[in-house]
Amino acid sequence: MRNVNSVAIVTGGANGIGRAVALRLAAANFLVELVDLEKDKAEKVKTEIVTAGGQAEAYGIDATDERQVKIVIADVTRRHGRVDAIANIAGGTVYLKRIEELTWEEWKADLDRNLKATFLFCREVAPIMIGQGNGRIVNTASNYGLTGSALRTPYSAAKAAIIGFSKSLALELAPFGVAVNIIAPGPTDTPRVLAKSTVEARQRWRDRIPMQRTAQPAEIAEGVAFLVGPESGYMTGQTLHVNGGLVMS
Amino acid sequence: MKLKDKVAIVTGAGQGIGRAIALGLAREGASVVAADINEQQAKAVAAEIEKAGSPSIACQTDVSKTDSVEKLEVQVLQHFGRVDILVNNAGIYPVCPVTEMTKEIWDRVVDTNLGGNFNCSRAVVPHMRSAKAGRIICVSSTVGYKGAKNGAHYAASKAGIIGFVKALAWELAPDQITVNAICPGITDTAQPRGHRSEEELFSQAQNIPMGRIGRPEDMVGPVVFLAGDAASYITGQALMVTGGGFMF
Repeated sequence: MRNVNSVAIVTGGANGIGRAVALRLAAANFLVELVDLEKDKAEKVKTEIVTAGGQAEAYGIDATDERQVKIVIADVTRRHGRVDAIANIAGGTVYLKRIEELTWEEWKADLDRNLKATFLFCREVAPIMIGQGNGRIVNTASNYGLTGSALRTPYSAAKAAIIGFSKSLALELAPFGVAVNIIAPGPTDTPRVLAKSTVEARQRWRDRIPMQRTAQPAEIAEGVAFLVGPESGYMTGQTLHVNGGLVMS
Repeated sequence: MKLKDKVAIVTGAGQGIGRAIALGLAREGASVVAADINEQQAKAVAAEIEKAGSPSIACQTDVSKTDSVEKLEVQVLQHFGRVDILVNNAGIYPVCPVTEMTKEIWDRVVDTNLGGNFNCSRAVVPHMRSAKAGRIICVSSTVGYKGAKNGAHYAASKAGIIGFVKALAWELAPDQITVNAICPGITDTAQPRGHRSEEELFSQAQNIPMGRIGRPEDMVGPVVFLAGDAASYITGQALMVTGGGFMF
């Protein structure tokens, strides 16, 4: 087993982009704290990391539940005394609906799944990172946060809100040596996306993307690794778009 | 090492940000062509890189002149046989209010800062296309977004770079060649000292959330990242490397 240098929390770490980020940060010698609603899948990723010689722990919680988030962060700090980085990957949307068909509860659910979860984790880790005098926070937006997307009003609103939130937090935490940046993935070949998109839909995507292909989760993970690593030391409040040129900021 | 066996051209490599980038790419294993209008400075940087153990050559290049860039291209191919990375960094900033700006000053700034990006990119693109790989990284500036007093020519040239980067990104994306920009904010180099006292320069830190102005070394990490395999799906983007001083 390798000696780990630092502790990183990855929310949504059991699947898709979150899993790729967890594996990538473990390879960069982080002890990875996997947080996911699906505990069994988080355990599988943990096993994957440990088998490869890394270190990881798995928590099965709802990232939108204030009490559970507090418990996880308290447990991580009790065990390791520090949080060097957090990648808030948990999020996404399940709705594809016209606005008149969306209920308030559905709107709230999308905002909570993305924005509230990001807020809750940032609020809990910020004092720890301030105390350390350093830390890296990476929140997840989406190209939809900039361009919007028909039938995804709540999701697009939440992702745009994450950008505004992260910039404000970057200003707030910069004096304490804590950087906050944003990763904005374009269309990515995650199992969830692959399962629900048709071959035709995927071809339409490729036709619109300058690089004529969709992203692999590992390519998004490289962006996150950059934002938690020393190379981006003088960057804060920025959005890194990993989208093959689909949106040029 | 992230750039082992890669060949990189860095323009304006003789000093400041360009020098730091040239040394930084070499540290990651790249062979570096240090191009600069000042031959002595280019040679000094190439010698420093060689001494540290990476292959390097110096080229006296005026990026605003097509024939000078053609000479650079020939030298690079003769020496290294290929080019994987181009860092368009060369730039000048002779401050001047628009009312006093002659067409000559305007042309010199735009031809060097923006025209240099065109000349050098045009020279390397055929070689990158045949390799179906390549990275072009252009050094723009936050001034391209914000403007600056007495810097109309500079601001226009740096904003022009962003448009150029996006258009070229579209053009080269099908061949998996990426084109991106970094935008430094105020940085501790010779350039801002042309119109600022030491005190004025460092007092800019109060406008920067991270509490200090940039250093040439701060620009190296983002360039290494964009130049490497890790940034394979990033194109047409501008990274603000500003300590939070400018968020976009």
